[in-house]
Amino acid sequence: MPPVNETLESLVLSLVPKTRTDESLKRQLVAHSIDILNSHIGQSRETDIGHLADLVKRYLSQSSPSGASSLKFTNLLSRLLDQPVLSRKHAALLFLYSLASTSQPSTTPTFLPSLAPPPPQRPNLSPLNPSNPLPDSNPPRGKSKADLLREYRVRTGRPQLPEHLLLRDTLYLLQGISGKYVRFVPAKDPDKEKQIVFVDDPKYVIPTPTKSLIHRLSEVGHLYTRVEALVRDREGRPGVGMIEQSLCHYLQTQLTQYYRLIAILESQMASSLSPVSDDPSSNLENATVEESGLTLRRLDVWISDWRLRMRMMSACVEGARDAHGGALVNLIHGYTDNGDPFVRHFTDQLLEEVSKPFFATLHRWIFSGELYDPYSEFFVAVDPELAHMSYVASGGGQLSGDGGFAGGNDDITGEREGGLRLWEAKYKFEREMLPAFVGEAFGRKIFSTGKSLNFIRYSCHDSDWVVTREKLANTGGTLKYSDISGLERSIDHAYQIASQRLFDVFIEKFRLLDHLRALKHYLLLGYGDFADQLMETLGPSLARPANTLYRHNLTATLETAIRSSSAQNDPVDVLRRLDARMLEYSHGEIGWDVFTLEYKVDAPIDTVLDPDSMMKYLKLFNHLWKMRRVERTLNKGWMRIAGGSKSFFQVPELNYEWHQIRVVQAEMIHFIRQMQAYCELEVMECSWQVLADFVEKKEGDLDALIEAHRSYLDRMVKKVLLLSPKVGREENLLNQVRELFATILQFREATDNFYNYCLSESARRDAQRDTQRGVYTTFEHGSDPSSLEGLAPILHRIKEYGASFSERAQAIVQGLQSHADLDCRFLGIRLSFSDFYRTKKEQHQAQSHQRS
Amino acid sequence: MSSREADRLSAAQQTLDLLHDISQLLGTQLDKETLATCVSMIESGANPEALAAVIQELRRERTSINAQSPANGR
Repeated sequence: MPPVNETLESLVLSLVPKTRTDESLKRQLVAHSIDILNSHIGQSRETDIGHLADLVKRYLSQSSPSGASSLKFTNLLSRLLDQPVLSRKHAALLFLYSLASTSQPSTTPTFLPSLAPPPPQRPNLSPLNPSNPLPDSNPPRGKSKADLLREYRVRTGRPQLPEHLLLRDTLYLLQGISGKYVRFVPAKDPDKEKQIVFVDDPKYVIPTPTKSLIHRLSEVGHLYTRVEALVRDREGRPGVGMIEQSLCHYLQTQLTQYYRLIAILESQMASSLSPVSDDPSSNLENATVEESGLTLRRLDVWISDWRLRMRMMSACVEGARDAHGGALVNLIHGYTDNGDPFVRHFTDQLLEEVSKPFFATLHRWIFSGELYDPYSEFFVAVDPELAHMSYVASGGGQLSGDGGFAGGNDDITGEREGGLRLWEAKYKFEREMLPAFVGEAFGRKIFSTGKSLNFIRYSCHDSDWVVTREKLANTGGTLKYSDISGLERSIDHAYQIASQRLFDVFIEKFRLLDHLRALKHYLLLGYGDFADQLMETLGPSLARPANTLYRHNLTATLETAIRSSSAQNDPVDVLRRLDARMLEYSHGEIGWDVFTLEYKVDAPIDTVLDPDSMMKYLKLFNHLWKMRRVERTLNKGWMRIAGGSKSFFQVPELNYEWHQIRVVQAEMIHFIRQMQAYCELEVMECSWQVLADFVEKKEGDLDALIEAHRSYLDRMVKKVLLLSPKVGREENLLNQVRELFATILQFREATDNFYNYCLSESARRDAQRDTQRGVYTTFEHGSDPSSLEGLAPILHRIKEYGASFSERAQAIVQGLQSHADLDCRFLGIRLSFSDFYRTKKEQHQAQSHQRS
Repeated sequence: MSSREADRLSAAQQTLDLLHDISQLLGTQLDKETLATCVSMIESGANPEALAAVIQELRRERTSINAQSPANGR
């Protein structure tokens, strides 16, 4: 622009008088001045005149300690500010100020051209230098302290290492490579980290602050090598978990970004180096370099963001070394609660990436019930033995369900192992693998959902349903870490559907309720007529030794009992499963001891009715069957006595004995009736009601169903068998009751003998009377003395058994009164109604007292 | 119009005087004429610090020429 040129020319003319004669010098100077004017010296300053005024005042007070000049300046400035003419007063003032401050070279320049302190080895600050023939040490230009120091160093012969060399080394360090002057040295102790070592160069020294700066920078390089080592290591190794793979993937992308940064820094460094070497005369470019070039400190700023990131990554890498799968996710999740938003954000991103395979597995698990987890990273673990079994067991189950009624025992016991074990042990819940963001209760839900689906699919042969469900669910979108609430919703949904379905399958398809009812009817003797019928037909053969019994006879009898009772109306599928067999018997046992009914279940019903529960059912059956037998025996005995009373009157002297027997028998009948009523009404029906209510509600999953059935059964076992909670003495009462049953049977036998005696006695008397009347009868043997001899031991035995029954009953009542279970205690009260046994006991004691 | 022009001139004069005073105070060793030139340049958009550098440069040039010229003349 010409006006500027002209004014500049006039300026040059006035300032350098010689140019008036020397045209070329003038042109040169003008050109040079324009260059300077177009340069960027001191641009982008804030235009705050107050600040400038402060600077000026400080300058003035420096040059003249008395405050007069500064006061004068304030005065002048305020007047200047009132003047309307100048539009750029600030600039004018700045001009004057810079002129004044630079014209006094001894003062350090207040405005440094660059924000960063100049690197010590830079040749000179002055932009005028290259074209200026005057050397640095020109007297008018004073030296800064840094200059002095530098000169001192030059004199001592060991100048500082130029920063650009160090910069290059540092960039290498950032990539984990040793540089020329600074290198990584692996520590001798393998546990320790690598160390940074500065190579001693005889020609140069590296100043201590720079060293520490490089140390700081090299941390990033060190972390980088660690992260990179992990990624490399995992890349080549087979069998790396999916979660770890995705972690590596994420780290790799991060590292790529890091490489990009390094590349940018490198190009920056190159651009900052090139002008110095290429074109020393272009001082203006030098100035721009100062603005944009790379220094160690700038590098530090650039890298600081990455330092944090590298630290996080390195922490994850450390964790990945010994954590695995879900535990690794957990570890990373631990950092999301960090207060630093940067760390939190980083971790969130990382987690989003890392949890992808986890969610993929989760998706398959809760929507299709398949565990796709090749590296066992999911919090559900499969038992390798049982994983295979699902197919075999279900196949076998189907077979035996079709025609396996009379199938071999081996096959059935092999089958028995399936069901519950399959359900309970095929998949395991591993708490330490559960990601923290899911939560334990939720994890259980997920676990149960997948398990149910899997079960429906493989053990219940309902895979079509699962497949359609899966298709439906797939439309719902994917599961993500960032959408935890959506995740929870979909899991809840899936859980509900799966458990509902499993319930339906069990109850409708597999008729679980029918089976439970059948167990109750047959094994727990719910069908009274059936039980009576069975006992009637079996009774005679059961009285024989166990080894004379044959299974086919038993089954045939069972068939007869079913046909002749109301049981024949039950579904065929139920009856088919009912079987009679003998337990393993030892020598001397009779049929009553070993006979048992059996109900066969197969997969998948045996998940609920597992072998253990079947054992309990058998135990219950055994006890109830015995009770039934005693009751029947007593009934028959009573009937006989009542019916035979006519004949007793022929032997009037034994009437008192018969009365005694009837009293004891009535006591026994009371006892057994109360016992039965208790078992049937208070225990079995009540427990059944609870179970039925649960099934009705259809809540919870298969586990809950199993649990409900188990508690139903346990309750019955505990109460029917009068088990006490005391350790080691659980079966005390049960044994007493059994002994009592045995006593009753013996008593019955003794009364039978007595009855027979009476019968024969009355027959003898009849015969006597006949002979007195002169009627001839064939009855002649059995004389008086012999028969009287036979009477005494029989009566003695009856008395003995009666007394022992009474004693035992007393003991049982006493035991029941202190029983922990309330129902059992009530049984005790019923048995000893109106304190019958206590008064009896007191009487007894009183009697013994009197005797003594 | 002439009065306004005169006002403007006197104001400019006053401003220049003020600036000159400040310049004196700061010891810039600029005469009024050069100062006027410089201020007009700044008003037209020149970079003040660069301009200061120019002044410095030119002064240095002068001293160097002065130092050389006696030798040349001899």
